[in-house]
Amino acid sequence: MIDFQLQIDSRILQAILPQLEKTFALACKRGGFSYSCPNPMDDDFVEAWELGLKQDFSQDRKALAKLFRNPKFKHGYIEVADEEVEEVLRCLTELRLTLREHSLGELSDKDLEKGDVENGLDNSSIRIAYFAYLVMAEIQEVLISKIS
Amino acid sequence: MSADVNTDLLEETKTSLELAQVWKVVVLNDPVNLMNYVVMVFRKIFGYGEQKAIKHMKEVHELGKSVLWSGEREEAESYVYQLQKWRLQAVLEKDD
Repeated sequence: MIDFQLQIDSRILQAILPQLEKTFALACKRGGFSYSCPNPMDDDFVEAWELGLKQDFSQDRKALAKLFRNPKFKHGYIEVADEEVEEVLRCLTELRLTLREHSLGELSDKDLEKGDVENGLDNSSIRIAYFAYLVMAEIQEVLISKIS
Repeated sequence: MSADVNTDLLEETKTSLELAQVWKVVVLNDPVNLMNYVVMVFRKIFGYGEQKAIKHMKEVHELGKSVLWSGEREEAESYVYQLQKWRLQAVLEKDD
């Protein structure tokens, strides 16, 4: 089991929890099919490719849902079973991609990569989405350091 | 020889030629994924050492894409699938 405490203000965490929930629901609804199959002319191949990814993504989401539903999570405590770390890492990436697409569209790629977004955070919904984006990155950073 | 047989033969030949070609597994840049996440994924999927994985990550970051592997189509497809499973933008390209 990997466990650690997030180093963030509890008020920020409370503010982003609804955003995480919303983004998770959105990612589940989207299905995650923005990835191109290398053989788009072969319908059977495309179907098998998408079905495979759909099943893999679903497994990943189950692992992240477990983390989010853990009562300790709302207090910033992260608990992930060793055998589910990869699934959680992948699904956090999916949620960050979803946030980027749906809630952080006003920020440029360049600013987002550099973390230079102060000017874009006047809008409170963008600010909360950005904090959620950072918190998920923080969870990924720590998980990666623990398994490396 | 019927037209159907000709079409089948052409299709088979086309498939054989495609399989015999060299294919490149290309990863495209995105502004979201963390650098150490990308390095970890490259190491995990391709078995690269840290320095090689970092070199490819930097190529993706600075040049917009990097060729991670090249070889037979079937194996290349498998790599693309694994990369997409890790939510990286990966595509297959013919090696000219």
